[in-house]
Amino acid sequence: MHLVPPVSRDRIISQFPKWYTPEACLQFKEHFHAQVRTACQWSTGTLGLKISKVVVVGDLYVGKTSLINRFCKDNFDRDYKATIGVDFEIERFEIIGVPYNLQIWDTAGQEKFKCIASAYYRGAEVIITVFDLADIRTLDHTKQWLEDALKENEPDSSFVFLVGTKKDLVSDAVCERTELDAIRFANEMQAEYWSVSAKTGENVKQFFSRVAALAFEQSVIKELENSAGHMAQIGTGNLIKLEKNVMEIPEGNTQISLGCC
Amino acid sequence: MEQGREEEEEELEEDDGGPERALEKSPFQLTAEDVYDISSVVGRDLLQLQLSAGPPLPAALARLQFRIVRVLEMLEALVSESSLAEEQLRLERDSLRRELEELRAAGARGGTGQLSLGPDKMVIDLADPNRPRFTLQELRDVLQERNQLKAQLLVVQEELQCYKSGIISQRRDQTEELEKEATGSSSGTSRDSEEKTIIKRLFSFKHGKGASSRT
Ligand SMILES: Nc1nc2c(ncn2[C@@H]2O[C@H](COP(=O)(O)OP(=O)(O)OP(=O)(O)O)[C@@H](O)[C@H]2O)c(=O)[nH]1
Ligand SMILES: [Mg+2]
Repeated sequence: MHLVPPVSRDRIISQFPKWYTPEACLQFKEHFHAQVRTACQWSTGTLGLKISKVVVVGDLYVGKTSLINRFCKDNFDRDYKATIGVDFEIERFEIIGVPYNLQIWDTAGQEKFKCIASAYYRGAEVIITVFDLADIRTLDHTKQWLEDALKENEPDSSFVFLVGTKKDLVSDAVCERTELDAIRFANEMQAEYWSVSAKTGENVKQFFSRVAALAFEQSVIKELENSAGHMAQIGTGNLIKLEKNVMEIPEGNTQISLGCC
Repeated sequence: MEQGREEEEEELEEDDGGPERALEKSPFQLTAEDVYDISSVVGRDLLQLQLSAGPPLPAALARLQFRIVRVLEMLEALVSESSLAEEQLRLERDSLRRELEELRAAGARGGTGQLSLGPDKMVIDLADPNRPRFTLQELRDVLQERNQLKAQLLVVQEELQCYKSGIISQRRDQTEELEKEATGSSSGTSRDSEEKTIIKRLFSFKHGKGASSRT
């Protein structure tokens, strides 16, 4: 295990972060699951690192990279540089006392990269489908993006988020109107809805905190289920896997032929 | 058309022949300027008529004057509209001409080695430095390698931050101990050991042993 500096203060989560709108939200709880809290208390100090994979998909130019960069690097670039294939960031959190990482995969929206990017969809604990609040057509495409991402994952194994970006570009009235459509989409996709702006940073931190908390809790619950009620084992390192698979990169998928793009 | 434009330019330049010249022009070449010239000529004639009739102004003449002004206004409107249309046509013609020339040039290039291609095929110009060169698999490999390097970089950056913030003593014996510990406890995959070598290199650099020693 390598040495890590302490997590910065705004990545420490002790209260369950709130949803954006109750009309499209994955859960209403205001606290971490009691079982999860207990498990995390017991395991303090003996844990390795827990990590969840997040995949971000959506049309080109909707602002996927910008959203990630605002959160991970706190910067914004007004010039468009298309993502080639995929990129990733790792963001470290500390959630109810337990170190936790989000591995955020930023995929390319350009059609020609789709077959490369889709190789990275597998094993996503979180799927974030992104559209541009100022370009309603990109909302229509989110269902297809989600479908493609779900194809590579076990049914019901991922949290889904629907995110409208570039909130700063639309008036409040337009935003509200678009949100009505988006919330309808989110419900059909069984997703939680968020409106954000990478430019101003509005809702970006809250959104990723919510993603982290939901994914964290889910993965702890899964571990608890896997250890089949042997609560005594929690804290002996069983709960949290080491970071050996931090960079689980898809093997050179030779079966995908050139023709797929 | 061309001729009309030239005449107009000439007139603007030296105004030879006076406003009367406008009356001799072909109606299809009239410009708004010409209509103003005609107005001034007709206006002068009307004035002369008035003077010779003497006051009071005969009603018929007044009515005629009024109608002539109206006709001239109508003429002006027609002329300006047609000159706008003409300008548009001119632009369109120029762009068509350019397009045709490009097509001809392309035709000349392609004419030498005509080959028929299937619907999903394309021609690659080998002289084009921006031509596609890499296969999908190569791009995939490059990306994977980039991702691995980035992951290693993140690890190193974090460790560096630890040392900078003094979380870990910078004394060499201690760091070596830590490294040993780390290698011992890790599952010893090649990736792990790769990480260690990078860190080691960074260390030797920090302690002035030369960053280039690639051990
Ligand atoms: N005003 C405003 N512009 C934004 C915002 N987010 C992104 N942009 C701009 O939108 C353009 C596209 O953003 P990217 O983040 O590169 O888009 P992408 O979804 O990653 O695109 P691909 O990598 O091609 O899939 C850039 O010019 C950004 O500056 C935002 O919140 N507000
Ligand atoms: Mg991008």
